[in-house]
Amino acid sequence: MSDDGRATGQGTGDAPVTQPADVEYPVAVERPHEPADDYSLTELLAVTAAKEIADGELAFIGVGMSLISGVLAKHTHAPDCQLVTESGYVGACPPGVVQSISDTVLGVDALVATNQLQIFTDNQRGLFDVGIIGAGQIDRYGNTNSTVVTGDDGTYERPKVRLPGAGGSTDIMTSCGRSIVMMRQQRRAFTTELDYRTAPGHLDGGDDRDAAGFRGDGPSAVITDMAVFRFDDDGEMVLSATHPGVDVDDVREAVQWDLRVADDVARTTVPTRGEIATLRTIDPTDTVLRGSDYVYEVGFDEWSERVMEHWKTLQDQ
Amino acid sequence: MSQTDDETGHDRAPRKPTGTATGPRSRRDKTTDLETAVAAYVTDGASVAFGGMGGRDPEAAAREIVRQEVSGLRVVDDARTTLFDVMVGAGCVDEYVGSWVGTSLISQGFNVRRAVEDAVPHHLAMRDVSNFGASLLFLAGAMDVPFVPTRSMVETDIPAHNPEIEVIEDPLGSGDDLALVPAAQPDVALIHVQRADPMGNAQIWGNVVNDHLKARAADNVVLTCEEVVPTETIRRHPEVTRIPGYAVDAVVEVPFGSHPWHCYGYYYADLPFYREYGQQSRDREDFLAWADEWILPHDEYREKIGADRLATLQEMEAQINDVPPVVGRSADRRDDGARGAPGEGGR
Repeated sequence: MSDDGRATGQGTGDAPVTQPADVEYPVAVERPHEPADDYSLTELLAVTAAKEIADGELAFIGVGMSLISGVLAKHTHAPDCQLVTESGYVGACPPGVVQSISDTVLGVDALVATNQLQIFTDNQRGLFDVGIIGAGQIDRYGNTNSTVVTGDDGTYERPKVRLPGAGGSTDIMTSCGRSIVMMRQQRRAFTTELDYRTAPGHLDGGDDRDAAGFRGDGPSAVITDMAVFRFDDDGEMVLSATHPGVDVDDVREAVQWDLRVADDVARTTVPTRGEIATLRTIDPTDTVLRGSDYVYEVGFDEWSERVMEHWKTLQDQ
Repeated sequence: MSQTDDETGHDRAPRKPTGTATGPRSRRDKTTDLETAVAAYVTDGASVAFGGMGGRDPEAAAREIVRQEVSGLRVVDDARTTLFDVMVGAGCVDEYVGSWVGTSLISQGFNVRRAVEDAVPHHLAMRDVSNFGASLLFLAGAMDVPFVPTRSMVETDIPAHNPEIEVIEDPLGSGDDLALVPAAQPDVALIHVQRADPMGNAQIWGNVVNDHLKARAADNVVLTCEEVVPTETIRRHPEVTRIPGYAVDAVVEVPFGSHPWHCYGYYYADLPFYREYGQQSRDREDFLAWADEWILPHDEYREKIGADRLATLQEMEAQINDVPPVVGRSADRRDDGARGAPGEGGR
């Protein structure tokens, strides 16, 4: 439990955790600490979320974007963080992208291989520092929906869009030390009214979480492909930083409510060349980053060769 | 949630007595074949749980359920991926109780969406819980108590739409609200493991997910495994026996039984295969063509995938995880050079 780590996620208008200039990257690249000039918004999102994990923290991560951020943190600025996954692995150093929650790369150098009951019992006990979740909808207090989009005339039973469901998000947002939400910035997703509350954020604001008896502090940041939001003392979302090329007004338009904006909106730090190179080594087939259609086109033999070759790069570190 | 099953009055396999010396779970050889095990235990209208979770999933067992055209299943489970989507598309499932459905990073659960949103091929009723909630369903079931409490799911819409979950104030006086998660005791759990002996003492390497609880909560348990090994091999590593034989009814050796998913220590996941599934399941007609092509008896399925491809998946896994099953195999099957196993005690 790192009090320092927990502090990084709190407050309004905090700049993202700065990148120590002496980070060693596992991949050889020229001028690794200089800003990258070629990166996608998805890569920026992944790097920005990774920086929310401080070195030494226990980071509870789900599948997809949050996992690649966790793996990136482990291979860059936070080598002593311990990744926790709901299927039962703790402390792994995966040499590549994690395709599913029981991906066997999560067994690589793991400290613990246990069961899901144990992981969530430990989570409820307050043993984990930070959790990262995804969501389909979010409201101004950081409550999220990943269950159903009902639309105008849909219902829970017959929704317009059936989303995957709670997964671990409900449990993480209830009990984990603090929570980070990663999602796409869309006006329909940043909504005044959730179609379904899957995971509890700051509820209706104020001291609602305390009144509910939750042990975790709830969402501390929302990171999208446009911006970084944090939460004020009342539990309301506040625009904290915008990504390069994005204006505050662009973000306002992608939110349904009258968005609170920090006095000193920061500009998200551009990823370094080393971070982008590492990210692409972790995901050589573009499974998560999706800068191309490669993952949809690559044949079995080329895929397997490429994955093994890139695993070796990170395993040799 | 066996009470609901009682209400439906569906036929199901008789409830098993405990592992007494003479009972059906006694110390005996329970090995059988996949077709027989599925026919015996996965009957129309049964409630079913599956092991693994995007890794070590009993995919071959699920394909056999589809092949036998079982219908009216109530899947009581945790997070489910391809095997669930295939069964839903094939019309096997009427209801799902669980925490998450999808297929993988590079595709969605298109069959699940069609069933829930458009009732194709028929409507799939959903009863959501959180992941912790899913574990607790089986903990309560394994303990044979009506419910266990948790702090999760309080102040969410999950209890509002899942009437089986009730939120109460702590009766012991803390003032905290707690969600009560009801016991799940499915008619059958199908679980794939690395290896088991003929009695069903099952060893799992890597993560366990909820399999140790499902095996104890379910009335009947069908184990599929990469290898059936002598009991003596099990005795050498009792600390990795996650499911005891006294909880098991049938044991089936099904090599590559988790394909296209991983089996820790044996083979890596076949991402291009489930990518193709994702692409072909976007459209109903394409899915039916996929099912025609791939819903096969497991031996034919393996042959169609191809030995070279399966060997590559083994090679991939061997690069990242060198685990004790290799030791066990080399000790007991020295003539089996399929994996180029290192000598005993290699790790």
